Amino acid sequence: MQASNTPHLVVHRSLNVEGESCPYPEVYTLDALRDMHPGEVLEVIADCPQSFINIPAAVAREGHRLRHQVQIGACRYFYIEVGSSGSETPASG
Amino acid sequence: MAWLESIQRRFFGGFWNPYASLVAAGVGAALYFGFTGTLWAVTGEFTRWGGNLLQLFGVDPTGWAYFKAIKLTSSPLTRSDGWLVIGMLLGSLVSALMSGHFKIRWPAHARRWVQGLVGGLLAGFGTRLAMGCNLAAFFTGLPQFSLHTWLFILGTGLGSYLGVKVAVRPFMAGQPRLEHGVRTVALAEASAKAGPHRHLWAGLVAGGATLTLTAAAIAAGHPIWGLAGLFGAAFGILIQRGQVCFTAGLRNLWLFGDGTLAKAILLGMAVQSIGTAIFIYKGVPPIIHWASLGALLGGVMFGVGIVVAGGCETGWMYRLMEGQMQFLSVAVGNVVGATVLAYGWDHWGIYQALVAPWPEVNLIHTWGWLGGLVATFAFLAALWAVVAWRERTFRIQRQARAPIPWRQSAAR
Repeated sequence: MQASNTPHLVVHRSLNVEGESCPYPEVYTLDALRDMHPGEVLEVIADCPQSFINIPAAVAREGHRLRHQVQIGACRYFYIEVGSSGSETPASG
Repeated sequence: MAWLESIQRRFFGGFWNPYASLVAAGVGAALYFGFTGTLWAVTGEFTRWGGNLLQLFGVDPTGWAYFKAIKLTSSPLTRSDGWLVIGMLLGSLVSALMSGHFKIRWPAHARRWVQGLVGGLLAGFGTRLAMGCNLAAFFTGLPQFSLHTWLFILGTGLGSYLGVKVAVRPFMAGQPRLEHGVRTVALAEASAKAGPHRHLWAGLVAGGATLTLTAAAIAAGHPIWGLAGLFGAAFGILIQRGQVCFTAGLRNLWLFGDGTLAKAILLGMAVQSIGTAIFIYKGVPPIIHWASLGALLGGVMFGVGIVVAGGCETGWMYRLMEGQMQFLSVAVGNVVGATVLAYGWDHWGIYQALVAPWPEVNLIHTWGWLGGLVATFAFLAALWAVVAWRERTFRIQRQARAPIPWRQSAAR
């Protein structure tokens, strides 16, 4: 794999939900996205197969954008860009 | 090894569509009823596991009224329901291994064990009070035209709604592992391709074991056991591939306004009802239970329990086979809860108080063929309308940029 050709993404926060099963992966993900600014990217690391379906569905429903996802072993890495409609009052709460 | 990889890609690559999975499950369940005269069901068998475990410890529960009713034999291998459950576990294992979803996972929060046990207990007790779980009192029960399933379904709907309220509270949800800080990530492709094929071979071994076991049962003169094992394996593959989780179906509806799985379940029941109607018309006796207060209460307990535990009976079976260890506690809770109910059935007078005063209502007998069928489909259509209404409500709220519902309740 050529490192120079690999696209990069700036990630602002990372959420690890390994070992968690539904509904907590989706609940945590949506909670984290609500506290971020539009355009920022959240990394989610999940290993519950049901969440491989539910996280992309929840993200799309809430108006965010799934920039990239990759399966490594039994884990899936999601890269989610916060949509413009996503944020209520920003962070620090 | 190319053939192994091509099998994986073709059948175990992506998830199966929920509608297709549940229609297939409905057709399979109708055929299973037609062939064996029994239902695709699991919790009656879990109760017998409890009975068999008691026997191992020197307690003889064969005199309990509940075990007389559900016929306790000496081991799971001497009854078709036992073979069905073993088949389901093996099928789910094959599917989890072949799809690369198998991984031993330990819960990130210790409280998940408690949730699993308590939720499992509630669900196990509730289902047996209602004479069936998300299968025999819900998915495969309603197509028997037994009114008790209507009560159980309504109870489960209410219970799961309450369960969601509890499950997202901070004391249960806990804190996520969230890291702040900006960094750059290279978007690499999956490196899984280079990995060993151990899980595929393990899947083949598990599949081979399933076929060998069922063949042995047939060769030993028990074709029904073999058939139950094969159907179980097919159901097991189906629920893992389609991620057919009734808990998720209800919970996603209440929590996120996502009714996809709920609608798929309703469609699966509608298709199955046509199949079972034909078999019943041809003379297979339907399985009818008491349309009792117990069925309604059991449904509420079940609904709360499955959401708190994170999985219903079919749900924990395939999730445990994916290696999610938390669901061991759900399994234990289910078996214990069901066994406690079996004890209390006569010893505490549960049957006399909550079940016996109510009749067993067969809708086909009560309203005739046309009336029974119309009523069943009308009930399913009404449930569909509730799902659609919930989805619509959430859509409108999202457009109005309303805060996430569980945030409101957590803030109070």
